[in-house]
Amino acid sequence: MDIGEKDKYDLEKRNDNNINYQAPGMSSDWQFGGANLTSTPMSLVASDNPLAIGSSCASASVVDSFGSNLWEHSSNSQNLGFCDISVQNGASSSNAMGIGKGGPTSLRSSIDRLFDMDGNSSSSMLKGGFFLPISTGILPQSLSQLPADSAFIERAARFSSLNGGNFSNMVNPFGIPESMGLYSRGVGLMPGSKDVFAISEMKSVSGVESQKSKLNATEASRDACLQVENSATLESPLKNERKSERLVRSNEEAKQGTGGSGNESDETEFSGGAGDQDEPSTLDGTGGEPSAKGLSSKKRKRSVKDAEVDQAKGGQPPVEAAKDSAENQPKGDQNQTTTINKATSKQGKQGSEASDPPKEEYIHVRARRGQATNSHSLAERVRREKISERMKFLQDLVPGCSKVTGKAVMLDEIINYVQSLQRQVEFLSMKLSTVNPRLDFNIEGLLAKDITQSRAGPSSTLGFSPNMSVGYPPLHPSQPGLVQAAFPVVGNNADVICRTLGSQFTPMTGRFKKPNQILNAWKDELHNVVQMNYGTGAPADSQDVNGSLPSDHMKVEL
Amino acid sequence: MSPMNNPQDLNPSSLKSRFTTRFLRALTKINGQKPISSSSPREMFQRYRRIKVAADKSMAWSVRSRRTWSRAMLWKLRSRYSCRQASSSRRSSVRTSTIIKSRQAKTSHEKENKNTTTGQDEVGFVVQADKLRKLVPGGEAMDLCNLLGETAHYIKCLTTQVQVMRKIAHFYSL
Repeated sequence: MDIGEKDKYDLEKRNDNNINYQAPGMSSDWQFGGANLTSTPMSLVASDNPLAIGSSCASASVVDSFGSNLWEHSSNSQNLGFCDISVQNGASSSNAMGIGKGGPTSLRSSIDRLFDMDGNSSSSMLKGGFFLPISTGILPQSLSQLPADSAFIERAARFSSLNGGNFSNMVNPFGIPESMGLYSRGVGLMPGSKDVFAISEMKSVSGVESQKSKLNATEASRDACLQVENSATLESPLKNERKSERLVRSNEEAKQGTGGSGNESDETEFSGGAGDQDEPSTLDGTGGEPSAKGLSSKKRKRSVKDAEVDQAKGGQPPVEAAKDSAENQPKGDQNQTTTINKATSKQGKQGSEASDPPKEEYIHVRARRGQATNSHSLAERVRREKISERMKFLQDLVPGCSKVTGKAVMLDEIINYVQSLQRQVEFLSMKLSTVNPRLDFNIEGLLAKDITQSRAGPSSTLGFSPNMSVGYPPLHPSQPGLVQAAFPVVGNNADVICRTLGSQFTPMTGRFKKPNQILNAWKDELHNVVQMNYGTGAPADSQDVNGSLPSDHMKVEL
Repeated sequence: MSPMNNPQDLNPSSLKSRFTTRFLRALTKINGQKPISSSSPREMFQRYRRIKVAADKSMAWSVRSRRTWSRAMLWKLRSRYSCRQASSSRRSSVRTSTIIKSRQAKTSHEKENKNTTTGQDEVGFVVQADKLRKLVPGGEAMDLCNLLGETAHYIKCLTTQVQVMRKIAHFYSL
């Protein structure tokens, strides 16, 4: 079937694009063209591979690696944000290198490397990380059935001629900040006009590129035409839902590659013209319904959302999407006006959506079987689903939440996590206030890989030594009690740190997935700082001082 | 094996690099103002505060106005700054407080609306949602759905911030 072929082609194209898009060297695990995508997200999300300090993060799951990352001594290994987790093999070796307090050169290089990787991969990985769970979450919900109609096929062919990256259905709300913004904008439009709305937001668009988007757009438009077709055929009465299906622009999902298997199933369904499929377990590439089956109430809205997944490709897709949607509208409207008028007349809501071509925000929703078709309840359901989808996303962001069930507990975890992050920022800013090397911060040195220690090291030590030499000599004869006076800088710092962080940290311990690890790492750091102040046994050589700040300098200097 | 060997591969417009640039600039400025060696504890604390504000500000600036929380944070920082500037004249503080109050009234109104339409499964959220609202800047004025989205982005930015600051601190403590 030509449509099936189109799907396959699309999938392949998407795969290729995904591969090309991601930075070379990323592991192939994250190329989600594969049909095994549906399985991988679960494994990725669920796997608990502890990220040992300095070890490669190759196998770390999103959750775990992030949690352990944050709280380790060596800042390098954990500098992979949740974005980086997805980069498994490619980055791991680089991460593993030079991590630890050893060779500063390798350390810095690894820092830089990590930094680079972070910069590179963040967006792509973020997307990857995001929609895997999303897609799995979507699977049970998505549903579309294709009417095996010759008229449909013809219409599909017609729509497929419409080109352009119609991102109408491609939404990756969390893939990128921009896309998020667009998404929220799109969502904001939703309640404005329509009755009932299925949110096709689940489609994560990440990784979709303009070429893909074209194909996807055609499918999306096909989807739209399917819906139109359905409404036309099924319509007349707004039956009470027999079956509700969420029209999902499964194209996106297919695109994501989660639908590797989904596409195939779609094709089979399509070819078979299967009847009701209640929530097919696989994604249906083109949401549709068997023409034969009457659908429950239909309120439809086409949702066209501009989701920009790609920062790089930012310009094109939205333009294309807008263009495409504009193109689609006139065609769709002709059908829609008639059907929608009938469909919505009962509710007395009128198709303002049908009447304006340039309007871009439509959302299709069908009431589920056995559920009220009241527009309010449908809207509420849509809203609830949105919220649950976002909660799932947050669950991946926040380490230690994969096993947590229940929204209240999840929210608690999220709150704790945000608090801990804010406290970390405070702690680091405190640390930075004492660390000043009094030099121009070398931005490239931080960001670039090949800053050498020779350039920055001696200068920083020079910068430091006058500070420390003032404080240090009194340390020798002094007793621990006097150390505080001798080290006003660090002492206060440590005191403040200890007080603020120690007290605040305790409530957190019970929350995180690996509280022990985090707590230990945290406490170690604190202890290091404290030891510096409170009199190491043999302060002269500062042998006991493992502290981060001046102790290293001490060793170097002496 | 990894493409990160080339500094040119860095995305200059990524959130991380934008934040780093601004933050380092701010740090340089702060450090240039007063030398560290002569800092008293009080000055240390001031520097800490300034650095913290600089970190927040640079992060919010990196995000520009794309996000509600960044806009709220920038607004808050600016209003605080202007409050301090005009501390002698009480008008500005009164003005900002009225603005804040009106905002809160609006948000409470919104919250009421949200609560009335809330489904049964969201009853337990309200408490946590309120806490989250306080944590996320600008969260007061958002409904739960947007709040969750903003939280996600905020978490992402916070982690970036932490990473960069940790790297900086480590880098310069060597």
